[in-house]
Amino acid sequence: MFGRSRSWVGGQGRTKNIHSLDHLKYMYHVLTKNTTVTDHNRNLLVETIRSITEILIWGDQNDSSVFDFFLEKNMFAFFLNILRQKSGRYVCVQLLQTLNILFENISHETSLYYLLSNNHVNSIIVHKFDFSDEEIMAYYISFLKTLSLKLNNHTVHFFYNEHTNDFALYTEAIKFFNHPESMVRIAVRTITLNVYKVSLDNQHMLHYIRDKTAVPYFSNLVWFIGSHVIELDKCVQTDEEHKNRGKLSDLVAEHLDHLHYLNDILIINCEFLNDVLTDHLLNRLFLPLYVYSLVIPETSEDRKINPQVSLYLLSQVFLIIHYQPLVNALAEVILNGDLSVFTPQSDIHSSYKNTASAGGVQRFAKPSESLERSLELSRHRGRKRTQKRPNYKNLGEEEDDEKAGGGGGSGGHGGEESWEDNGRGGEREKGKGTEGGGGGSSKGSRASGETAEEIEMVVMEKCKVSELTEQNITDEEKTAAATRTYAQRSRPFLDMVYSALDCSNDDYHALFVLCLLYAVSHSKGINCDLLERLQLPVPDQERSSYSLVLVERLIRVMSQAAQPDGKVRLATLELSCLLLKQSVLSGNHCIIKDVQLACLEGAREESLHLLRRFYKGEEIFLDMFEDEYRSMTSKPLNVEYLMMDASVLLPPTGTPLTGIDFVKRLPCGDVEKTRRAIRVFFMLRSLSLQLQGEPETQLPLTRPEDLIKTDDVLDLNNSDLIACMVVSKDGGQAQRFLAVDVYQMSLVEPETKRLGWGVVKFAGLLQDMQVSGVEDDSRALNIVIHKPSSNPHAKPLPILQANFIFADHIRCIIAKQRLAKGRIQARRMKMQRIAALLDLPVQPSATEVLGFGQTASASPSGLPFRFYEQSRRAPNDPTANRSVFASVDKVPGFAVAHCVSQHSPSPLSSPSPPSSGSGSTGRCDSVTASTTSVQSPADDGTFLEHTEGEGGGGEVTQVSSTPSTLVPSPALAPSLTPASQPNISLLTDNSADTLSVESLTLLPPAGSPHLHPCASHIPVTHGLQRPGASIAEEEEDEEEEEDEDEEETEVGRKGEQREEGELQEEEGSPVDETDATVKEETTTDLVTPTEEAVEGGGEPEGEDTQLDVDRDLPQRDDSVENTEDAGTYSDTPDSPELD
Amino acid sequence: METIWLYQFRLIVIGDSTVGKSCLIRRFTEGRFAQVSDPTVGVDFFSRLVEIEPGKRIKLQIWDTAGQERFRSITRAYYRNSVGGLLLFDITNRRSFQNVHSWLEEAQSHVQPHSIVLLLVGHKCDLEAQRQVTQQEAEKLAGAFGLRYVETSARDAINVEKAFVDLTRDIFDLVRSGDIKIQDGWEGVKSGFVPNTVHSSEEVTKGSRQCLC
Repeated sequence: MFGRSRSWVGGQGRTKNIHSLDHLKYMYHVLTKNTTVTDHNRNLLVETIRSITEILIWGDQNDSSVFDFFLEKNMFAFFLNILRQKSGRYVCVQLLQTLNILFENISHETSLYYLLSNNHVNSIIVHKFDFSDEEIMAYYISFLKTLSLKLNNHTVHFFYNEHTNDFALYTEAIKFFNHPESMVRIAVRTITLNVYKVSLDNQHMLHYIRDKTAVPYFSNLVWFIGSHVIELDKCVQTDEEHKNRGKLSDLVAEHLDHLHYLNDILIINCEFLNDVLTDHLLNRLFLPLYVYSLVIPETSEDRKINPQVSLYLLSQVFLIIHYQPLVNALAEVILNGDLSVFTPQSDIHSSYKNTASAGGVQRFAKPSESLERSLELSRHRGRKRTQKRPNYKNLGEEEDDEKAGGGGGSGGHGGEESWEDNGRGGEREKGKGTEGGGGGSSKGSRASGETAEEIEMVVMEKCKVSELTEQNITDEEKTAAATRTYAQRSRPFLDMVYSALDCSNDDYHALFVLCLLYAVSHSKGINCDLLERLQLPVPDQERSSYSLVLVERLIRVMSQAAQPDGKVRLATLELSCLLLKQSVLSGNHCIIKDVQLACLEGAREESLHLLRRFYKGEEIFLDMFEDEYRSMTSKPLNVEYLMMDASVLLPPTGTPLTGIDFVKRLPCGDVEKTRRAIRVFFMLRSLSLQLQGEPETQLPLTRPEDLIKTDDVLDLNNSDLIACMVVSKDGGQAQRFLAVDVYQMSLVEPETKRLGWGVVKFAGLLQDMQVSGVEDDSRALNIVIHKPSSNPHAKPLPILQANFIFADHIRCIIAKQRLAKGRIQARRMKMQRIAALLDLPVQPSATEVLGFGQTASASPSGLPFRFYEQSRRAPNDPTANRSVFASVDKVPGFAVAHCVSQHSPSPLSSPSPPSSGSGSTGRCDSVTASTTSVQSPADDGTFLEHTEGEGGGGEVTQVSSTPSTLVPSPALAPSLTPASQPNISLLTDNSADTLSVESLTLLPPAGSPHLHPCASHIPVTHGLQRPGASIAEEEEDEEEEEDEDEEETEVGRKGEQREEGELQEEEGSPVDETDATVKEETTTDLVTPTEEAVEGGGEPEGEDTQLDVDRDLPQRDDSVENTEDAGTYSDTPDSPELD
Repeated sequence: METIWLYQFRLIVIGDSTVGKSCLIRRFTEGRFAQVSDPTVGVDFFSRLVEIEPGKRIKLQIWDTAGQERFRSITRAYYRNSVGGLLLFDITNRRSFQNVHSWLEEAQSHVQPHSIVLLLVGHKCDLEAQRQVTQQEAEKLAGAFGLRYVETSARDAINVEKAFVDLTRDIFDLVRSGDIKIQDGWEGVKSGFVPNTVHSSEEVTKGSRQCLC
């Protein structure tokens, strides 16, 4: 069938030039010889038609004489002749397809006029094809569509005959508006839209469309939509275990299709049409069916659909349609109206002079006549009356006149529409068995019109009965309303909407209400006055008040979401947060009342408690935590998409088997409950911070901008690097240096221009890394790093998959240990930060590195990274560091520490923030950590930065742990150990695991080495990164520590451990005594950083440590300042304790 | 004489104008390349049978629509009623490649909450000399969106069959596994007439069963 089209163009390989006038003449000859279609000549005819088309298209571009001939010989008539012979499907399909191609490819206006002239095309359009044949139907409608695409101000005259009021293209097309095949419906929509668009410039046509077709078409369309809605509702009601989801989703999509179509009509912005359409939509669909269903009691028979379905559909309406008169009127009723709109007296919509509501009561009722019938009738009537009423505005009067003449008592319904008239007329005609189609005489149609009225009256009477019942209800309502105070207007719909926000049992309704409110407040078509009057959230508007009721309900939703058994889905919560922000944020400031803010804070607190219940030290918790943060931020709720999903229409479910998105259902099982708790926590936290105007400083745990990225240039002085050959999976090889940072590992290459600097070729998170040995090569490691994914179900995508080959097996072991430990430490640090976020005391887990865990607990903030950034990019700028410190002040723990240090001589208390439950050991750890942080500059640039940052946060310790494990330093303070990493690794190898673990962990890794040029491999510019201020501070801290006995002892302990480390180091590495001493000094410096704020002792040690000129300058400045400030509180001038 | 097919898949072909959508479709459905001088035939749909396994034929209904539709409601309907499609760009036209993302987004926004099986096609690969988009970057992009990538040429008939057949297979697998369900009112996949032979396999029964629910 379709294959036949193959040969229609060219390709036949005939000797004769087929593209010529001569050939067309020949074809004409063939046609004249075969005027009758028979089995024998069928193929020949089809082939001929095909060839003719081909020649015409060729002629269109090359030879206009072809068209002259075509027209002259009236060849189109042959086509028609063939069609009319009932020659069968084969020929019909071929002809339609050919014509389709012909019209589609004609490019010259004149050619088109030729083809369209003589009304042949219209004859084809009205030809009664066998539409039961799917293929004929498809080609036919496709043909109409092609024609409609050719419509313009000129061509329209070939289709629309204003004298006879014929517009076959349009009227034939809309008869298929409810065709079961969706592609046919779509084509009909295209045709109507094309027609409406053209009608803008053609008054006659416009009037014809509006007067003769708009009402029948739109009323039928509205009924069609409504029937779908009722079916949809039935589908929801009868659903069991989500079995109806397929059908439901189709019905929802269908509804969306309709809304988009309506919107497309409305935005053509043809005022006349829009009036009619708006009237029908409002008064025959949205109000009576959707809105009215919100308030009718369940038992009432008037209730056609359920409130949740109606809320859902209304949300869609507001999300898609923005036509001002329509949505504004609709919103007005929902938000501000009462039931009076459903009584005859209401004149809210009287502005629409149209007649659909003239009966006074909005009803969702089936049009009394099929569209086809009404069209047919209106056409005949139209013929009769064209002269009489050229203007639509006269229409109603005329109707009235007629009715009066007929003696009909339907005065009250004078506005009844003409089309209904026709409809009734049609009924009558049917009843009498008269042929409506033939009614050409004005007499006949006149008669039919009169009888129509009688029947109409009967119909109206029937209607009245139903009206009465309705009226009863509304009367009661009214009296009820009257008894209330006048001032308080009853708003039954709004009341319903607000009360549906209650989530104590489920959030089935609440989600839709939120969507509806969101959609209404974001609709461009809604008058802001209306929203403001009701104090509803208007996005991006300055305001001074908000709806207390709404906000109260929103907060209640949030607090319910934070309950352990809360039935609030994540989508609901997210939407509540959105609306709340919209309500109470005006510009940059928040106008929420203190009481409500307190309630919100309460909800946040509850969410924190909820999450604590799920907090586990397991690896998976960290992954979940970060996954959830990612997916929450990467996929913010899209309300439009949410409202396209039919699955939310069914009652909320908990089972993932339904395939419903996690945020749109309740959690199932512990993992999902944990995930949910995490999300709830995130959302409420972010909301609370935003309302209080505070920036988020702790989430995400790693900010992408803080990480080392490919092509970054780093100062690698004092970094421990291991050379290796990286063999990627696809066989590529590269010589690289491996560096392990706090959170990342990176592969670097030397920077050619700056000594001691390197260019990052790859950087990946340690926490997502897997290290394994390679079986037959003791010098090689297999390393895989996965990309963190926001979807827990997605297959992890490796961003690095390679073998690292080292110079020898020892270096290989070193690298392996460094990486493996780095991974553990990185994860542990993050866990500690989560714990801090949750205000959890960090349990000193016996097995773990003591110092590490505690330090982490001490540092509640994720600051290290931030600090790190600055120090790396602007290593010499002490002010930058300071600013970081300043920001640190916000961390409660730190702030306390800060105060203490300033006012009291004993700074010890400060290092351990109150939040950390850990005891004195904790303090010590923290102190050590701080030291490390200070010293860190010597190591990798990265290390330094981190540590410093931590110091700023008040929680120094974490950073140190990683490096410490790797590098035990010979100096008293572990941080001092500047030894080259290889040495360290050797040490670790030598020393028993247990030993290494303890000592290493306790030791702050990085610090001092950088200070000592000797210690570090690269003696050049280590100093650059160090901010002098921090050093000075550190020194002070140390002094303070000394003061306190406890701390001293602890320090002593550490010192011992460190000494061990140092010894080892000394064994392994050639570290001079001088180095060691230097280290000591540095360590002291390090201690201070915990309290960055304290800028006390500018001490000589600090100066010593600084080898570089660069460093000295800033340091000195700082130290000077510090000394002034600090003089008071720093009792001990030196930090000799270490010694 | 109804042709026997197991399923009918409705596919769309999208991409910037002039990337050669019509040519590709015609090459596939008619087996020939439309010369430049030929008028562009913009018929609504084409169809062809594809035999993906011996005895298992799939009828492809291919819609070539994008561009001529000015109305959102119409475009939406086309997308929604398709089970899959080819997303074309022209390897000699960098811009068309850059627009791939927005095509994807559009497709996605129209078919929400469902998805549509797409296959990325770099067209006109016979014009190697004028290539502006390398195969690697196209593959990378395809990978990022989880699509397959094929380079085709309608002129030289390179990979045209493969593009359609691969897509058909993918969809067929999804239908067979139940990830794509036949639904009343959705025309992306229709269950077809099956000869009353051994071939009336479990897929068909499965498909029809899903129809009922």
